[in-house]
Amino acid sequence: MEEIRIGVYVCWCGTNIAKMVDVEAVAKAMREIPGVIVAKDYKYMCSDPGQELIIQDIKEHNLNRVVVSACSPRIHELTFRKALENAGLNPYMFEMANIREHDSWVHTDRAEATQKAKALVAGAINRVRWHESLDKRSVEINPATLIIGGGIAGISAALEIADAGKQVYLVEKQSQLGGTVAKLDLLFPHLDSAQQLIQPKINRAMNHLSIQCFLNAEIREVFGYIGNFEAKVYQKDDLETEIQFGNVIVATGLKPFDPSKIDQLNYKRLPNVITSLELEEKLLSGNLVMDNGKDPKHIALIHCIGSRNKNHHEYCSRTCCNTALKYSNQIRSAFPDAAIYEIYSDIRSFGKGCEELYTHTARQDVMFLMYDQKGEVPKITEARHSEKVNMMLEFREQLSGEHVEVPADLVVLMVAMEAHENAKEIAHAVGVSMCGNSFYIEKHPKLDPVATTTGGVYVVGSCQSPKDIPDSVSQARAAAARIMADINFGSVEVEVTTAVVNEDICCGCQTCISVCPYTAIHFDAEKNVSVVNEILCKGCGTCGSACPTGAIRSRHFTDKQILSQIEGLMSMQLQH
Amino acid sequence: MSDNEKPKLKLAVYWGAACGGCCVSVLDVHEKLFNVVAAADLVFWPIALDIKYKDVEAMPDGHIDVTLFNGAIRNSENEHMAHLLRKKTKVLVAYGSCAHMGGIPGLANFTTKEELFRRVYDESESTVNPDKIRPQTSFTVPEGVLHIPEFYNDVRALDQVVDVDYYLPGCPPQTERLVDVFMAIVTGAELPPKGSVVGAYDKSQCDECERKKTDNKKIKAFKRPWEIQDDGETCFLEQGVICMGPATRGGCGVRCIKGNAPCRGCYGPPADVTDPGAKMMSAIATMIDSDDEDEIVEIVNQVADPAGTFYRFSLPGSILRRKIVQTV
Repeated sequence: MEEIRIGVYVCWCGTNIAKMVDVEAVAKAMREIPGVIVAKDYKYMCSDPGQELIIQDIKEHNLNRVVVSACSPRIHELTFRKALENAGLNPYMFEMANIREHDSWVHTDRAEATQKAKALVAGAINRVRWHESLDKRSVEINPATLIIGGGIAGISAALEIADAGKQVYLVEKQSQLGGTVAKLDLLFPHLDSAQQLIQPKINRAMNHLSIQCFLNAEIREVFGYIGNFEAKVYQKDDLETEIQFGNVIVATGLKPFDPSKIDQLNYKRLPNVITSLELEEKLLSGNLVMDNGKDPKHIALIHCIGSRNKNHHEYCSRTCCNTALKYSNQIRSAFPDAAIYEIYSDIRSFGKGCEELYTHTARQDVMFLMYDQKGEVPKITEARHSEKVNMMLEFREQLSGEHVEVPADLVVLMVAMEAHENAKEIAHAVGVSMCGNSFYIEKHPKLDPVATTTGGVYVVGSCQSPKDIPDSVSQARAAAARIMADINFGSVEVEVTTAVVNEDICCGCQTCISVCPYTAIHFDAEKNVSVVNEILCKGCGTCGSACPTGAIRSRHFTDKQILSQIEGLMSMQLQH
Repeated sequence: MSDNEKPKLKLAVYWGAACGGCCVSVLDVHEKLFNVVAAADLVFWPIALDIKYKDVEAMPDGHIDVTLFNGAIRNSENEHMAHLLRKKTKVLVAYGSCAHMGGIPGLANFTTKEELFRRVYDESESTVNPDKIRPQTSFTVPEGVLHIPEFYNDVRALDQVVDVDYYLPGCPPQTERLVDVFMAIVTGAELPPKGSVVGAYDKSQCDECERKKTDNKKIKAFKRPWEIQDDGETCFLEQGVICMGPATRGGCGVRCIKGNAPCRGCYGPPADVTDPGAKMMSAIATMIDSDDEDEIVEIVNQVADPAGTFYRFSLPGSILRRKIVQTV
């Protein structure tokens, strides 16, 4: 085995680290560790001179391992890997110790923070000893794209890609495109027609030469990996179509919450208690009447049904406040004399033009009454025969502190928006993760909001969280742009820190297969071993920890590397 | 002795904290004992031969060719003999689970010396000890001072006390494997590198196990073997019974599983696994078929004696090593 020659670099990060950590003492202590050839401190390791320092030392001292103790590896790991590459070393012969976020920023005692920095760096040194060279790999991209879901997001992405001349397979489970938007009458905040917005797009998608639409269709499983996926589209009458594609956009949208879960709303039992989407149907047909065909005189809109309550969904469904405000305006123009009640908990009418909609609505003789959505929703009961109205709502009004009764002929429940029941099946088919609310998880909430941890799979629109139309369209077009960039480049680099099975150890127990979130492992019955498809594998390490035999190694995260790092950490703690 | 007559090997067998099963497994060579005796002189074996410690002490260093040391190190006598035999032996073999990783006696590391003594000398139902007498390491009688070994707080595997050349795992090791290893030494076959596990396979039990295995390892309820209607064909784990097979080296001939009992893990972990209990718990955790935190807790609580199940033979030799003892 080659002699281990490690260079250690302790960054000041200006005063960010140096103020709380004695960086010179850390570098000095590291020089005592066997295998450490040089240990230096420098003001900004990430700067060009800082990187040049590493490159010079690698050449001058024949270093074959480098440790930088600085900020989070999320910020500069790639910077330093690149520096190693420039000096002719494999970029994976590098380890970063985070002594800023994990140390200087969170401590107030300089002596203790310095001791902790020594431990963190000693751990990194002990780990880097066991690092191995890993080689980059790339795969070619099939220029076709599969889009699952034909709502506003799916259609927008499809048109974007197809207009650039690339093939799109658009799979919709309903009998027509358009999704939720096709069921709406007017749109907030400008009360323009949803149909005029969506129908031309539907027509264009249906007739586009580069878009193949599959209606009443579903995808049950997607095989392959970024650039080279394949799947079967299942339609009625056992019709199956095999397709090949390089990228996937998931745009499956959401569905309304079922309010019959909340007893005291008496939804389904009282015929004039309806949901927001049922109101849309009435508005779209121009037939806004009660079940007996008469015009309602008292109309109540109850916000936050199923939202912002931990018994149902803790999150805010984001579009319902503006939708309710839109309804008040539509109802007011249909019935100039009707009494309209917005029974809300907080009005969240954010977004361009939306606060203005709220101000406008407040001038339309609409009564705003506040209830506590974390407590009980208003109780809806049938009114006594002596009353002139149909129903009575009871609740504690928050602003006055009074128990109030509100008469109503028609009650509209502003129901929450939630993930589809089959969200999990689609997640498994394409290999994306779900949050606790069954919405799909993006790769990074701020910096990578439409990609997922599976290469070539994107999530857009309301399947990722409830969204309005502008946000859905923005995401759809962002994903389309990402995919176009990959298609244009022609190939893509894939993860190298993957799992690998040692066939001499694997006993064929198959524990690893079902735990893989990327369906990257299959069983080779002939050899009686598991096999990892290294292009599908994202190196998450789940199989490595599940494997009871130690046959699966997670490259760059081997047991040996991790345990050595812990030993290094502990060795410094003991000297304290 | 003529020049072409090979000198006989000098063989010793010793027991530390052991049950005697390992020594019996050596006796189990039956008629092959003749092959052994033809090739080796037994120079020390307390269970079978009346050779005293002082006789061993009198031997020159490196006098014994091979010592099969079984049993864990639990008291000062075990430790003394481990050092002595190391000095007198060329090839020291940790023989059986207790010498290999601590074995069943090693489960005492989940408690302390004081807790054990309290139970055994004060509290147990069959104890009458009104004067609360506890073992002493020395005691004066009219004839002089008597010494007995000191009982340690920790149980250790052999290699935690002395340098070990090879490991031959099992509770007890399969006798055929012992004969294989012994004959390899006798015939002068090339020996594996120092520190190797011998008399066992690289692959774990499942490789040899003939039960049907699929990737459908989903556990809704953990069951004891008597709680299932075992069909004799399906993987125990797929029936909800914890089987240590995946995390245990093969080599025993899947004896327990062939007898329709799940593997208990006596052959120790495959190479590179430092903590078989942790490995198996980690694997089991992935099999629990629930996404609901409360339900998962409920399912996990069904594992009877998790410490004893996952670390039955391996506690002192694993990373976990023992329960933390609070020192004031």
